[in-house]
Amino acid sequence: MKFLDLLRLITGNLSRRKARVALTAIGVVIGTAAVVILVSLAIGLQKSATDQLYGIGDLTQIDVMPTYGGGGGGGFGGPVFVGSPGGEASQLEEPVLLTNSALDQIRAIPGVKVVIPRDYMYASAMIRYQRLEAGMSIIGIATDDLSNLGLETSNGTTALNKGSVIIGVMTPNNFYDPKMRPGQEPPPPPELLNEQIQLVAIKWDEQGNEIRKILSLRVAGVLNETGGEPDYSIYLPLEQVKSLNEWANGARINYNKDGYSQVIVKVENADQALDIADQITAMGFQAITPQSYLQGINGFFVVLQIIFGGVGAIALLVAAIGIANTMTMSILERTREIGLMKAVGATNRDVLSIFLGEAAGIGFIGGLGGIVIGWLAAQAMNVLAIVYLAGQASQQGGAPPSVAVYTPVWLPVFALIFSTFIGMLSGLYPALRAATMIPVQALKYE
Amino acid sequence: MTTPLIKIEGLTKYYEMGGTTVRALDGVSLDIQPRTFTVVMGPSGSGKSSLLYLLGGLDRSTSGKITINDERLDQMDENALALFRRRTMGFIFQSYNLITSMNALENVAFPMQFTGIPVSERSERARQLLEQVGLSDRSHHRPSELSGGQQQRVAVARALVNNPSLILADEPTGNLDTVSGVSVMQLLSDLHRSGRTVLVVTHDPRMTRFATHKIFLLDGHVVSEAEYQSATMEMANLSSN
Repeated sequence: MKFLDLLRLITGNLSRRKARVALTAIGVVIGTAAVVILVSLAIGLQKSATDQLYGIGDLTQIDVMPTYGGGGGGGFGGPVFVGSPGGEASQLEEPVLLTNSALDQIRAIPGVKVVIPRDYMYASAMIRYQRLEAGMSIIGIATDDLSNLGLETSNGTTALNKGSVIIGVMTPNNFYDPKMRPGQEPPPPPELLNEQIQLVAIKWDEQGNEIRKILSLRVAGVLNETGGEPDYSIYLPLEQVKSLNEWANGARINYNKDGYSQVIVKVENADQALDIADQITAMGFQAITPQSYLQGINGFFVVLQIIFGGVGAIALLVAAIGIANTMTMSILERTREIGLMKAVGATNRDVLSIFLGEAAGIGFIGGLGGIVIGWLAAQAMNVLAIVYLAGQASQQGGAPPSVAVYTPVWLPVFALIFSTFIGMLSGLYPALRAATMIPVQALKYE
Repeated sequence: MTTPLIKIEGLTKYYEMGGTTVRALDGVSLDIQPRTFTVVMGPSGSGKSSLLYLLGGLDRSTSGKITINDERLDQMDENALALFRRRTMGFIFQSYNLITSMNALENVAFPMQFTGIPVSERSERARQLLEQVGLSDRSHHRPSELSGGQQQRVAVARALVNNPSLILADEPTGNLDTVSGVSVMQLLSDLHRSGRTVLVVTHDPRMTRFATHKIFLLDGHVVSEAEYQSATMEMANLSSN
């Protein structure tokens, strides 16, 4: 039997029983719509979660921090005693510091491109530009060019020299006028490239008197947007931040003895990041890579998708039983027709194909309906959710979500194939029964 | 003497029914020549329908040989039997077996779906056959809109659609009034005259007048016409007493 003839016969047979096919297909419609909606919801949740994490960082970057002895104390102090109160399994844990020799060890790991120490400025500080002031994250970094961190600029340079700073793209938005009167229009964000700004570091003596230290710095570059921490930061050479921290603490900092508080490791290839982070962790440091966050988050959402998809699949399973029931009834009613088919020369395989095809056809029709309804419902949910969440976001401050329910192209395609397959599968038993009927018994069936 | 189209040797068909064995055919041997009109006569339960279904490859014999066109039906598998039926045979049933949801034209064209005849040829051929059985004005009527005689003529047209050399008919006039029955038998007789081999199973003695050959079956055995007559007379007497 030719495929086109088979298709024609199947569509003819299905269209002759419209009401029954429709009723049976409704089950599949519900099941498929449930799969589409629930999986879209899971994907939408994942998408909005990862969108929020956009700029969690560069995937080739690993942030490495020292371990100060089992997490106890957290100071620069000596060995920390860790163990059970009984003391049997007790052990002494040495702090593992990011000294220069440790940095050399990390550099030696294959795949590591650069190792760059960095430090935050701990002291109170603000940035002043003309009459405007701003607070921002001040980072000292031990590299002469920020392009080593993968940062780029189209405004000025990424080369970092003493006396100059490179600023994140969002930092001008932080400036405010301290003398602004209520009701006055806030000043527009200043254009800072090649401008002189002042870094004002503040400390207090024992009597509570404020002591200020002012550095005049030139803005040598404005970084391109990364979506992450660099957008809101201002970069200085590490030595300069070190001396500011020493001034604020009133104590010298010896990186060779105490180690750096943080080191950025850039790897050649994002695929290696997790592996290299593991190796660094094995050396006793804390290594954090955005990859590990993403992996954990994605793993969670895959599980969520499977659970949601599974709930939809249960609905489809119920629909499958409906198809099996309809096909079994249909075969009982059409027993003589099956006998006739065989009498006029249909092979068992022809009969099997016809009935399997009809069952698959019901699955296909239901799947098609389910996709349309599921997709429409997902869109409706999207509109409602975005309106609601945008309202929430505007009340609480924060970026409104771009999408709540997301249907990727593969999902309806998969849902349609799946529902058709489920239909065919549930038609298997009735179709086999039809195909193996003894013609004479089928013809004489009352 | 020509080689027989159908050769049956020692054919048996036993059923198990309620714990007892029913011998529907009990060692039947016969030859049917090509281009003959054979009527198989027998009362109900004589095994005549069993014989027809075995000849059509629609049922399996218990033992014996069936040879049609030099091919052994009893040795064919299901698939080979289906293909053999498709090329060689056309069936006509007592209850017509038309598909109620299809019109006359679609019913006639139905078997062609399995044979791969181009779609363009199908409706033309079906139309011609409906014309041949005198129903060209009824081609778009459903079976429920046709009389019994008309339905059986649609079934005859359907049996001819694959141009078979052998027509097997099981009580084709059983559900028809005399006039319709005669017209259907006339149609079958025309088919015989056009060169086909026709085998009709019936218990209606009036149908034998179209036959070139007659076979009488009683209790699963082939008997002579004289034996058959005396047995049916005996039964008639028994029932009248």
